[in-house]
Amino acid sequence: MSINRRRALGAAAAAAATVGVEARTLWPQHTVDYRRAQSRVAVLNAEAYSEGLEETVFRGLRLFRINVRGMRVLLKPNLVEDLPEPVNTNPVLVGATARCFLRLGARQVVVGEGPGHQRDTELVVEAAGLRPMLREKQIEFVDLNRDELRRVRLKARYSGLGELWLPRGVLASDFVVSMPKIKTHHWAGVTLSLKNMFGIVPGMKYGWPKNLLHWHGIHESILDICATVPIHFVIADGIIAMEGNGPLQGTPRELGKIVLADDPVAADATCARLMGFDPLQVRHLSDGSRFLGNPRADRIAMLAEPLGTRIRPFAVLPEFQYLVAQ
Amino acid sequence: MSLLGLSPERESASAFEFLLNSQLANGAWPAFRGDTEGSWTTSLALSTIVVTNHTSEACQRALKWLLAEKGEEGHWLWRWKFKTVDRNVRFDPDKYGWPWNHGAGSWVIPTAFSLIAIKQYTVCARREASEARIRLGVEMLFDRACVDGGWNSGNSIVYGVPLRPHVEATAIALLALQDERRNEVVDKSLLWLRQRAATVRSASSLAWTILSLFTYREPIQQLQDRLAYIIGDGTDIRNNATLAVVLLALRCGEMIHPFMVLR
Repeated sequence: MSINRRRALGAAAAAAATVGVEARTLWPQHTVDYRRAQSRVAVLNAEAYSEGLEETVFRGLRLFRINVRGMRVLLKPNLVEDLPEPVNTNPVLVGATARCFLRLGARQVVVGEGPGHQRDTELVVEAAGLRPMLREKQIEFVDLNRDELRRVRLKARYSGLGELWLPRGVLASDFVVSMPKIKTHHWAGVTLSLKNMFGIVPGMKYGWPKNLLHWHGIHESILDICATVPIHFVIADGIIAMEGNGPLQGTPRELGKIVLADDPVAADATCARLMGFDPLQVRHLSDGSRFLGNPRADRIAMLAEPLGTRIRPFAVLPEFQYLVAQ
Repeated sequence: MSLLGLSPERESASAFEFLLNSQLANGAWPAFRGDTEGSWTTSLALSTIVVTNHTSEACQRALKWLLAEKGEEGHWLWRWKFKTVDRNVRFDPDKYGWPWNHGAGSWVIPTAFSLIAIKQYTVCARREASEARIRLGVEMLFDRACVDGGWNSGNSIVYGVPLRPHVEATAIALLALQDERRNEVVDKSLLWLRQRAATVRSASSLAWTILSLFTYREPIQQLQDRLAYIIGDGTDIRNNATLAVVLLALRCGEMIHPFMVLR
């Protein structure tokens, strides 16, 4: 290649990059900005899924002084398959959280999920062990794959989808709590509170799996969904997490932590750090830092345990080695 | 499916009218009332019209839409991508079926429902285009089968690790293959489904299992009894799709099987 051609190509690339930056400034990819001046995260120690979990979660919630009085609270756990621990958010944690929000004055607590792999939601709910808890506490469960739907214009433009049909059970909630299982993910790198929101997209319309989201880009779809349905709070299940070939075939990893946060990006960034990852290597977290929340440690107030420095990184598939913090 | 579960004639007629009025101009049916895009439910609607013996030009329009619809990997560019740079999921992109909705890849359940509907509608006079599309869909199902039999949504091996089958997907895929020549995949899948049926406690999965095993002349009475016990008075069933398939499964053997394919 001649010097002139190289120069011309270099100049064209530089011009394209400049135009790209300008386009992003002039025509931003999102129409909302949920970032706080300071986000709050509490990492709580919890060794087992036991009766005592309710008090641990309650103490954690009180650190945030959140007001849910009179609200309809939606708990969105991560229920994926009829497989044993640690694939799904543990039902003991879901039950404890439901009771805590009722104690805090919530008018109604509803658990909602639309599994992305298994078409038979009932099978997953049973296998996850959630049914007895729901029955005992008379907590309503909404199958988000088959709920009544409303067409919603997306508040970000990363995926190009423009709009999605979303469940009434989600849109009618005053306070959305994402309750992910802390896991590695063979497409997205990690599956935490933001990725967990794939479960609000109805299978009835988009199928099992919700493949249209994959074709439009997993990270891009996550950003668009979370821009449109804001997560008000996160309670992440890291008591027994998953490493390796997640989200289905990884291996259990005893982390012994629950992560509470009032900002999903701060929550996921903290979970990523607990996994020994660099959060900004996760694309939906780095892009999400422009409008969904704060991933940087200096914008996060740690209300409980410090993160600690001796973290053994989670095992990852070779394709995701770049996530591991140096 | 709700229509098939109804018995009084007046209700059935008004449900049928609703079904016909819901068809979109392009011949497809939307996933639900109010949506304007064609979807996987088109095959269910076509099956319903065929097995209730309603001849309607709606069927021809639905068939035309089904024959034109395909998973995105049916496009040469995506086939090339999946053959060369994206090999994390093991599948043959030359063998494609039907997506849940337009613009996505092929998956097991919508492919199986589409195969059943096309086979049912064209059983008396099948043209080359329908036969070719059926053969491609059948090959896709065999290609996506799990290693030890059965099917899940459509990923049998990911990152070199075999994934496990699902009850519903296996039952529905077997329904689509009921008239095909028996082979090792079908036999292994039937065996898996029979064994798994003994412990299934969910109404929907058990109902699909009953409908499927019946077409292979397997005994279903015990499974029907268990299904009746599980659902009780039916008040716990919260969605119409499950209610409809449960009704059909409980009456399986007493009425025309809605997913039966004649040879």
